[in-house]
Amino acid sequence: MQLSRLASSVAGSLLALLALAAATASPALAQTGVVQGQVVDAASMRPLSNVQILVAGTGIGQLTNSSGRYVLLNVPAGEHTVQATLIGYDEATQTVTVTAGQTATADIQMSSTAISLNEIVVTGVGAETTRRALGTSVEVLAAEDFELAPVQSVDQLLQGRVAGATVNATSAQPGTGSLINFRGVSSVFGAQTPVIYVDGVRVDNDQSTAAGTGGEQSSALADILVSDIERIEVTKGGAASTLFGSDAATGVIQIFTKKGTPGAPRITARVERGIEMPELKYIFDMGVIFPERVESGEITERFMRDLYFKNGQTQNYYVGVSGGTADVTYSVSGRLEDLTGTQPRDASTNYNIRGGLQASLSEDFTLEFSGNYVRHNFERLYNGAAIADPLTTFEVGDALFFSGASTLLEALDIFLLPQIDESVNRFIFSAGARWNIMDDLSFRMTLGTDNRNNQQRTYQPIGFTPGEPTGNLRRYDRNFTSVSLDGGLTYAWESTGGTVGSSTTVGVQGFREEESVIWGNGRTFALPGTFNFGSAAVITAAEGNVEVFNGGFYLDEQVSLWDKLYLGGGFRIDAGSSFGDNIDTELYPKATGSYILSEDVGLPLVDELKVRAAYGQTGKFPGAFLKDRTFSATSFRGESAPRFSNPGNEDLRPEKTSTIEGGIDAALWNNRVGLDLTLYEARTTDALFDVPRQPVTGQGIQQENVGEILNRGVEVALNLQLLNTQSLAWSIGGTFNYNDNEVTDMGGVPEFSAEGSQKRVTGCWTQSDPNDESTCRGGPVGAWYLTMPVDTNGDGLPDGSERALTGTFPVPDKSGSANTTISIGNDLTISALADWAGGHDVFDYGSVWATFNGIYRRERIRCGMEEGAAEGCAYAFPTQYRADGTVRGKYSQSAARTGFLYDGDYFKLREVSLRYLLPEDWAGTVGAGRATVYANGRNLWIWSRNQMIDGELNGLSGGGLRLGSESSITLSPNRTFRFGVEVVF
Amino acid sequence: MKKQNMSIFGTGGRSVAVALLAVLAVAACDAIDPTQVNNPTTTDDDLAEATNPTEALLPGLRAQFARMINAYVVAAEVISDNYSIHGTGIIVDMDEPHEVTSDLVNSTGTSASGVYWNVQELRALADFVINDIAPNDPGAPPALVAEAHYYRGMAFLTMGEVFSNVPHEEDGMPQPSETALTRAISDLQAGTGFGPQANAALARAHRLLGDAGSAASAANAVLGASADFLFAPSYDEQFLGNTPVAFLVLRALQEMQPLPRLDFLDPKYTERDSPIPIAKAEEMHLILAEAALASGNVGEARSHLASAVTVAKSRGMVSFDDIDERRNADLSLRPRSEEILIRSDADSPYRAGLVLNRPSDGLEIPYISGTSLSADSIAGLGGENEVWHALWLARQEILLLEGRRLADLGIKLPMMLREIDQNDNIAEGDPGTLPIVPGYIPQNPRYAMDIYTPLDLYDGVDPGAPLVKSEVTMHVDMNKVLVANNASPFN
Repeated sequence: MQLSRLASSVAGSLLALLALAAATASPALAQTGVVQGQVVDAASMRPLSNVQILVAGTGIGQLTNSSGRYVLLNVPAGEHTVQATLIGYDEATQTVTVTAGQTATADIQMSSTAISLNEIVVTGVGAETTRRALGTSVEVLAAEDFELAPVQSVDQLLQGRVAGATVNATSAQPGTGSLINFRGVSSVFGAQTPVIYVDGVRVDNDQSTAAGTGGEQSSALADILVSDIERIEVTKGGAASTLFGSDAATGVIQIFTKKGTPGAPRITARVERGIEMPELKYIFDMGVIFPERVESGEITERFMRDLYFKNGQTQNYYVGVSGGTADVTYSVSGRLEDLTGTQPRDASTNYNIRGGLQASLSEDFTLEFSGNYVRHNFERLYNGAAIADPLTTFEVGDALFFSGASTLLEALDIFLLPQIDESVNRFIFSAGARWNIMDDLSFRMTLGTDNRNNQQRTYQPIGFTPGEPTGNLRRYDRNFTSVSLDGGLTYAWESTGGTVGSSTTVGVQGFREEESVIWGNGRTFALPGTFNFGSAAVITAAEGNVEVFNGGFYLDEQVSLWDKLYLGGGFRIDAGSSFGDNIDTELYPKATGSYILSEDVGLPLVDELKVRAAYGQTGKFPGAFLKDRTFSATSFRGESAPRFSNPGNEDLRPEKTSTIEGGIDAALWNNRVGLDLTLYEARTTDALFDVPRQPVTGQGIQQENVGEILNRGVEVALNLQLLNTQSLAWSIGGTFNYNDNEVTDMGGVPEFSAEGSQKRVTGCWTQSDPNDESTCRGGPVGAWYLTMPVDTNGDGLPDGSERALTGTFPVPDKSGSANTTISIGNDLTISALADWAGGHDVFDYGSVWATFNGIYRRERIRCGMEEGAAEGCAYAFPTQYRADGTVRGKYSQSAARTGFLYDGDYFKLREVSLRYLLPEDWAGTVGAGRATVYANGRNLWIWSRNQMIDGELNGLSGGGLRLGSESSITLSPNRTFRFGVEVVF
Repeated sequence: MKKQNMSIFGTGGRSVAVALLAVLAVAACDAIDPTQVNNPTTTDDDLAEATNPTEALLPGLRAQFARMINAYVVAAEVISDNYSIHGTGIIVDMDEPHEVTSDLVNSTGTSASGVYWNVQELRALADFVINDIAPNDPGAPPALVAEAHYYRGMAFLTMGEVFSNVPHEEDGMPQPSETALTRAISDLQAGTGFGPQANAALARAHRLLGDAGSAASAANAVLGASADFLFAPSYDEQFLGNTPVAFLVLRALQEMQPLPRLDFLDPKYTERDSPIPIAKAEEMHLILAEAALASGNVGEARSHLASAVTVAKSRGMVSFDDIDERRNADLSLRPRSEEILIRSDADSPYRAGLVLNRPSDGLEIPYISGTSLSADSIAGLGGENEVWHALWLARQEILLLEGRRLADLGIKLPMMLREIDQNDNIAEGDPGTLPIVPGYIPQNPRYAMDIYTPLDLYDGVDPGAPLVKSEVTMHVDMNKVLVANNASPFN
C-alpha cells in the first residue's frame, strides 16, 4: 500500500512539473532550422554518447545518443556556436550557420584529456576557478563516474573513488555509516568525518544519531542522497578548505545536485532488482562453537547458515524528469529503494523525492533552488557488543547461557524476539542567487537548511530472557536542524590581452546547528504487545540539547599571469559560540601557487604539466559548551541532586591544522596517462585534548588546547588509457595514499585512552635512547595498548602480564584502489573497482568473548579441534607459567589481549559493473530515445591477512573519536548483485 | 548583448533591490541572532542566581555519598575474601589484592563507580558547599551545614580506611591515612547535629586510629541514643540504585559469588533501592568488644559480642526468590545445597546451616545483619583467641556487604592512576601509589582467600545435577590469620 501511494504521489508531482515545463517551453518559432551532427573521439573516431550539446545563447541542447548523434530542432536561423562537453574531454565547439527550414550539420571531434585543467571548481575558492589555477588538490567526481553504481549512501559512493581517502564500513546492517578519513587522524576528539555540504548547505554528518545497539551506531551519512548528483568536490583539508574556517580540518565534501539542462523534457525511468547475499567469510557456525550439540545430533554444523542467514532482495525504482529553456531549467525525481537484508529483522526502505530548479530572471540574475526529502525506515538487530545479538551469542557460545533455553533452536527463537526500528525524515533545502552586478562585479549567496528527525525504538518483549524478561522499550528521538549561509562578492579583472587577471572575493560563511535528543525508557509491562513506554511500570526519560554557531568573514585573491602562473592568497576570520570567553576570533590564512610548466618547457612525453604548492590553515571548533563550568544534576530519592560537570575553560579555541602541500598534475603520452601526485604535511597545533583534572578536585575532564599532531603523506592518482580504438577502449587507474600519523606534543598530559581503554594517545611510542625521554617519538592517535604476557623472573617463560603499547595502530596508514573500464563499441561498458587498506591491526572482541566459554576460536579455526591439536600449532593462545616454571594454564583473556589483535590488511573487489546500451530501434519500440540494461555487483570478493574478522569493519565504534578496527562478531557488508534497466524518453 | 527587456530589475530597480536586501539583512540579524546559544546545563552564572544554594546542593551531596558507598562496598567485598568474581562484569584481577593497581582500582566493572574517584568527588563537593557556598548563603540552615560536614567527614573516613596516602587538595602531597582520619574526626564532630551516625562514624575513625578510649566513648554515645541504632538511607530504584544488587541479584554478567561459608547471608540487598547500612548498633558493640579484648577484658568482650549478635538477630529477614544457580566462570556448580557442611579450613570442624538451597523461592535472608554465631556459641567460646576469632567472624558476617572487611584484613588500595599522572607532586612508587597487602594475606595459589575443595560437588553441570559430595573445606580461614597476626588496630 505504501509503495503504491508513494508511486502515485511521485507520478502526480512529475506530471505537474511536466505541465509546467511544457508551459514554459517556447513554441517553435518561424525562421528556424535544424542542427544535427555526430560527436566522436578525435583519436579513435569512436562515437561519444552522453555528450552535452548546447547551442550557445539559445538554451537549446541535447545529450548525444549511443551513436554519438544529436538532432536539435527549432534553432533560430543565423550563425551559432555549438558547444560539446563531456567529462574527460576538452570542451569542443563548432560554428554552424542555420538557414530557415534547412538542416545544418555540425560534426564535432573531441580530444580526451588525462587531466581536466579547464574543469571548473568552486570548493574552497572565493569564486568559480579552473583547475589550472588551483594550488591545491581537489578531487572531483562526476555523475558519470557513479550514476549506476550499486551504492545506497554517499559514504559507499566514495569508497575507492577518492585518492587519499580511507572509507571503512561499520557492518552489513542498515542505517549505519562508514568511517571516512582524509589525510590521517588530525584530532583526538570527535569523528574524523569530513563536513558535508549539499548545494551549499552544511548537512548533518553525525555518525551517532541514535542509541547504540551493541557497539553499532546509526549514522546521518546513511540518508544523504545518492541520486541526481551532478558532481562531488572533495577537499582534504589545508588551503583548499581554509575558507571554511573552524570547521574544515577534516576536509570538505561538497555535493551538487542536478538542476537540469536546457532542452525538451527528458524523462528517465529506472527499475532495478537485486540480491543480497551474506558474506560468511568470518562466520564459523556451530561445528566450531557447539561441537557437542552437533555431535549429539541436535543441530547441524551449518545451523546458522541454514536457519539464520538468508539471501535478501533489493528493489530500486527511479523516475526523473529534467529539461528546460534557456532561462529556466529543472530536474525532478523520485526514488524508492526497498531492501531486505541477509539476517532476520534486517530491512530498510528509502523514499526520496527531490527537485532542482535554476531560473535566470535576467541575463544577470539567476536563482537556484533545490529540495530533497528522504524518508528512511529500517530495522536491524543488535550487534556484537550486546548479549542480545543473536549472531554473536551463537558464535561465541553463549546462546544457551543467556537465553536459559535448553536447545539452540529454542534459543534462536528467543534471540529473535527484540525489535529495533528506526525511521528518519530528512529535508534539505537550498536557495541561491547569482547576480552579475556589473561586468566585473558579481555577487552570489546561498541559504539553506537541513532538517533531520529520527526516531528509534528498541523493544525487548516480555519473555526476552537474555535482556529484560519483563519487557523493555527504549525510544530515542533526535531532531537536528542546521541553517547555512554563504555569500560573496567577487571583483574579477583582466588586463587587455589577458596577460594579467585578478579575482578578489570577500564573503561571509557560517552555520548554526541545533540538536535536540530525547530518550524515553519503559521497563516492565503487564501485557505483551505494548509499544508505548507510558504503559510501563518504570518510566525514565532524559534529554540533551546542543546549539552551535560558527561563522566568519573571508577574503580570497587569485591572480593569473599569462594564463599559466597563478598565485592566490586569502584568509578567514572566524568567530564561534564554542570559543572560550577570552577568545574573540581566529585567523586562518592561506597562500597558493600553480604553474603550467608545460606551457614553457617542453618535456618528452609530457602533454600538460602543472606544478602546484599551497599553504593553508583550517580549524576544528571545540565541543559546544565545553568552555563553561557547569553543574549537572540527576534525580535521587525525589530530589534533584547536583554535582560538578564540566570544569570550564575560558581560553578554549579551535585546534588548527596548518598544511603545506605540493604536487603535480600531469598528462603524458598523448593524453593517455594522467597523473596526480600530492605530498603534504599537516600539523595540528593547539590540538584539543581531554585533559583530566586531578580527581582530588572532584572535577572530570576538560577540553584544552595542549597537543600537537602531525600527519605527513603522499597521495597518488594514476589513470592510463591502454586502448582507444573505434571498437575498443580500455582504461585502468588507481590511487594510493600513505599517511604517517604522529602525536608530536602531549602538552604535558600523560598518555590517555582514545575511544576505549585499548587505544592510546601517547607521546612516547618508540624511544631511541631508553634513558632519555626526549628521544621519544609520539605514537599514532589510538595506538593499540593491550595486556600482553611477560616474563617477570627472567626464566624465558611468560608468567605475568602487563598493559603496553603493541607497536601497532587501528587506522590504516596505507590505502588505495584500482579500477578499470572497458568499452566495447559504443554500447557495452564493463568496469570494476577494488579498494584496499593496510598497515593497521584489528581487534577481535568476539574471540575474547568466546574464551569466557572456554572456546578459543582462532585455535579451533587454525589448528582443528582434536585433543591437543593446539600444541605445536602455528597459533596457540599463550600458556602462562608459574614462577617455578610449571604450567599454570592458558592466560586469561584479560591478561593476554594481544592474542586477539591481528593484521588488518584487506583487499576487496568492491564493484563490477556491466552496462549495455540497447540498439536505438529497440528503445524506440517503447518510445524511448535511449535504453540501457545493466548489471553490477558489490563486495564480491575479500582477501584479508587474518581469517577471523573483517579488516574493514568498525563494529565496536563508540561515539566521539571513532578510529574503528575493533569488532565483535559483526557481519561484513553483504555481497550484492543488481540488475536494472534505464530508459530515457 | 544584454537582454534588458527580460530583466526584472531596471537600472533604478537595481538600487532599490540593493537597499531592500540591506534592510532585510539588518532586520533579520536583529530579529534572529544566529550566534546566540543556550547552554542547557547550570553554569556559574546560573548558580549565582540560586536563592538557597546550600539547600539546593545538599541533595547532590546525598547522592554522591550514595555513589561513594556503592563504589566502596563493591570494591571492598570483591578484593577481600567476602566475595569472588566469576563473570565478566568486574575485572577479575580485582579479586586478587596483590594485583590491584592504581589503574584498576577505579573500575569495579562500571567505569564511573571507582572508589577513589567517588571519595574525592564527595570530599570536593562538600568542600565547595562548606567553603564557597554556605558562608555566602545567609539562609543556610545549620542542620544542613552539619550534614555537609558529616559527608565530608565520611569522605575523609573512607579515605583513611581504604587508602594509605592520598592528597587532600589540588597539587597536594599525599597525606597518610592518619591525617585523613584526623580530618574526618574534625568534620564528624562538626556534623554531630546531623544525628548519632556522626558519632558512629567517630567510633569507627577512632578505632582505625587505634584510640580505644575515644572509640568506645563514641560507640557508647550511639548506643545511648538508641540501643538498636541504624542509619541506612535508601537508594533510588530508578536513578541511583544499590550497586551490589546489580551484581548479586540482577546478575547480568554473573559477576559476584559469596564465600561459600557466607552463602546464608547473600544477597542481603534484594531491591534496587535497598539501603546499605552506614552505621548500626551492632558495629558499636563490636567496637566495644574489640576495645575490651585489646585491654584483656575477655568477659566484657564476650558480653559485647553477645549483645552485637542479639541486636543482629533482632533485625528482620527478607523473603527472596533466588534464581541464581551458583556457578563458577566455567559453569561448574558452586555449593548451593543446604545439606552441605563447610569447615573454614582443614583444621576446623564442619558446620551446617551455612549454605542455602539455590535456586529457590522464598529464601529468608537477613537484610541488615545476620550471623552464624549465637548466644550459646559465644558462651561456649574458650580462651581469648577464640573470642578474637569470633569477633572477626562476627565483623565479617554482621558487617557483610558494608565494606569493613577490606580494612579488617589490613589491605590498603592505591590511589587512582589519574591522580598520580596529573599531580606533579606524586610519582609512581610514592606512598599511596601501590597497594598495601599485609604479608599474612596468602597469594599462592591465586585467589587463595576464596578457594575451596572439592570442586566437583555435583554430578555434572546441568541445573538438576545431584549433589555427590557434601563436605567443603575452605583453603584458608582468614579470621584465624587475623587472630594469629594481632590485626586489630587496638593491638
